[in-house]
Amino acid sequence: MTRRRFGSKLFAVTTGIAAGGPLVVMLVLMGVLVRDAWPAWRFQGLSFFSGTVWNMGNMYANTPIVRAGVQGAPGASFGILPLVVGTLYSSLIALAVGVPIALLTAAALVYLAPKRVSMWLSPVIDLLAGIPSVVYGLWGVEVLAPFVQSRLGPWLSHVLRIAPFFHGPVGTGMGLLTSGLVLAVMIIPIVTATTRELLAQVPRLPYEGAQALGLTSYESVRYVAFPWVSSGVIGAVILGWGRALGETMAVLMVSGNAANYLPTNIYSPISTMASTVAALLDSALTDFTGLAVHALALIAVTLLAITMATNLLARSLVALGRRGLEAEGERR
Amino acid sequence: MKSGHSKKAMLAVSSALSLASLTVAGLGGAPAAFAQSSAHARASAVRHTSGPAVRLQETGSTLLFPLFQLWVPAYKKVASNVFITPNGTGSGTGIQQAEDGVVQIGASDAYMSTGLLSQHPSMLNIPLAISAQQIMYNLPGLKASTHLHLTGSVIAQMFMGKIRYWNAPQIQNLNRGIKLPHAVIVPVHRTDSSGDTFLFSQFMTDTNAQWAQSVAYGTSVPWPAVAGAQGGNGNQGVVQTAQRTPYSIAYVGISWLDKALSHGLGEAALANRTGRFLLPTVATISAAAGQMIAKTPRDERISLIYAPGANSYPIINYEYAIVNENQSSAVVAQAIKNLLLWAINSKGGNSASFMTKVHFLPLPTSIAPLSRAQIERIHG
Repeated sequence: MTRRRFGSKLFAVTTGIAAGGPLVVMLVLMGVLVRDAWPAWRFQGLSFFSGTVWNMGNMYANTPIVRAGVQGAPGASFGILPLVVGTLYSSLIALAVGVPIALLTAAALVYLAPKRVSMWLSPVIDLLAGIPSVVYGLWGVEVLAPFVQSRLGPWLSHVLRIAPFFHGPVGTGMGLLTSGLVLAVMIIPIVTATTRELLAQVPRLPYEGAQALGLTSYESVRYVAFPWVSSGVIGAVILGWGRALGETMAVLMVSGNAANYLPTNIYSPISTMASTVAALLDSALTDFTGLAVHALALIAVTLLAITMATNLLARSLVALGRRGLEAEGERR
Repeated sequence: MKSGHSKKAMLAVSSALSLASLTVAGLGGAPAAFAQSSAHARASAVRHTSGPAVRLQETGSTLLFPLFQLWVPAYKKVASNVFITPNGTGSGTGIQQAEDGVVQIGASDAYMSTGLLSQHPSMLNIPLAISAQQIMYNLPGLKASTHLHLTGSVIAQMFMGKIRYWNAPQIQNLNRGIKLPHAVIVPVHRTDSSGDTFLFSQFMTDTNAQWAQSVAYGTSVPWPAVAGAQGGNGNQGVVQTAQRTPYSIAYVGISWLDKALSHGLGEAALANRTGRFLLPTVATISAAAGQMIAKTPRDERISLIYAPGANSYPIINYEYAIVNENQSSAVVAQAIKNLLLWAINSKGGNSASFMTKVHFLPLPTSIAPLSRAQIERIHG
């Protein structure tokens, strides 16, 4: 008896530790990052978010400058507006392109495709989510960027010539549009898989009822199935958004790595927060004042905050959708 | 339902974690244990003569990387027990990882700053050879045998967005008789931390006062905002970007010259202090070196940029091995010493068969003793 009680207590403690792990990791991570970023925040203040020039200062100067009690290389000044803009724009393009495709794919898998086809296709889509991002990046450089440069870009620029952001020199294909498209391909599997799971939980009866009433399959999906899980789908979309915001390698490879300027059109080179942290870390580590590393940490904190906010939003929306579903089930 | 939920939770956590590993790994620096394991010496796994097997890691300069790729198989014949893994990651990485002890040899086109050296006083900056950098452009229709004439100040204005078109009077006046296109100039710079950026920005600083005031020099600089300007990763990335971007201009390390030319890029003749326009050749690089090397201090940290003299090519430099004089063991220290001594030996790594392939010049005979003296300081 006592042994059994001890066993269950042990079980409770070990699972408790294991379950608490992610939270602890998260908090420690946040704490370390904030502590690392703090000097940069004191040095730069709010202009960190509004400035357009990222300047680690003259690291070959002999004497550092001091501002707000923080040492920096002479000339040091950190503004990340172009990085924030590049990150948001590229991820929004990814959503605009990727989400409709993902939703249609999910609907097709659940409602339209023969069982045998969806049985094979679903795992393939799950597999796509696991492909390393550098592979997508390589594909972006070798295939997509030349295509954007020679075909898609000129065509878009011509067709949408009155729309200001779409018209203009197409450049080399390395830039905002290509980054957005690569990200779109990367988030499609995540959004598809999540939406598919949600749709599979929609009760069969209302859907069949809609069909019995003479709605087409498009109308049944659009007006019955999707509304049933709409907040969950929004959650899935925001989950994809989180992935797009944080993607590093693929974007580093296809973004054109614009320095210190805002995109003028959809073909402009850009830089994102994540890719900049990766690209500049080694230089920052040679800053004898250490401030440049703190500034990169501040980018990381900013990105982490944005990613966490979108993730929390996503999860609460998904939970909300599920509660709605359960309530619906109880009513029946 | 459950599985969907937990999958999402896992995704959320893993995306946060991947971000975390990115930042934490970088911020914390590499653990010392890793350096130990990569440098560990195994006893008795010897093939021929020369002692226990030793593994050496080299990383850094993509300008020096092609030479290391030639050296590694050749050195295998000298010391079969030494296993060298070279890597081209950018000079900033070379400096940083040598400091941290992640690698034994950091390669860099840039010497360490005085501030950084005072924090890491045991680091050595050892020149292995003399290198150069050329300015390259993608001008469709221009014959490869035609070399545009450019001055440092004009190039600086192109990279600052002050000169926006190829047929701007400042460029056209230097190139009478060449029909230049009315096309927007696309500057291409290095995204990673780069010794090539260091050399280029030093040349810009020496030739353009406004650049000196606003951009200055370093392995990463605050690039002026020029719409359309692009970045490339490593010399290979810059060559690739320039090649696919008509009307671009870029700076490229000389070990990548042949590759860049074969990709259709043009090579500029640069104005030196006396106003002569020169290409980087054995004659012009050694003329510039001849003007500068006498000033080399004992720690060998010196810029060779913009040398005086009528025949001097303006962008040349020492290629450095960045090495910590305190190594993990006597065996590793000896292996590094032997390798570096072989590398700067005119019958070894500095022989013409290696140098000409990458367009480097061997270390001058007056400088080799300085490098040798530094190499002798490495110990276990």
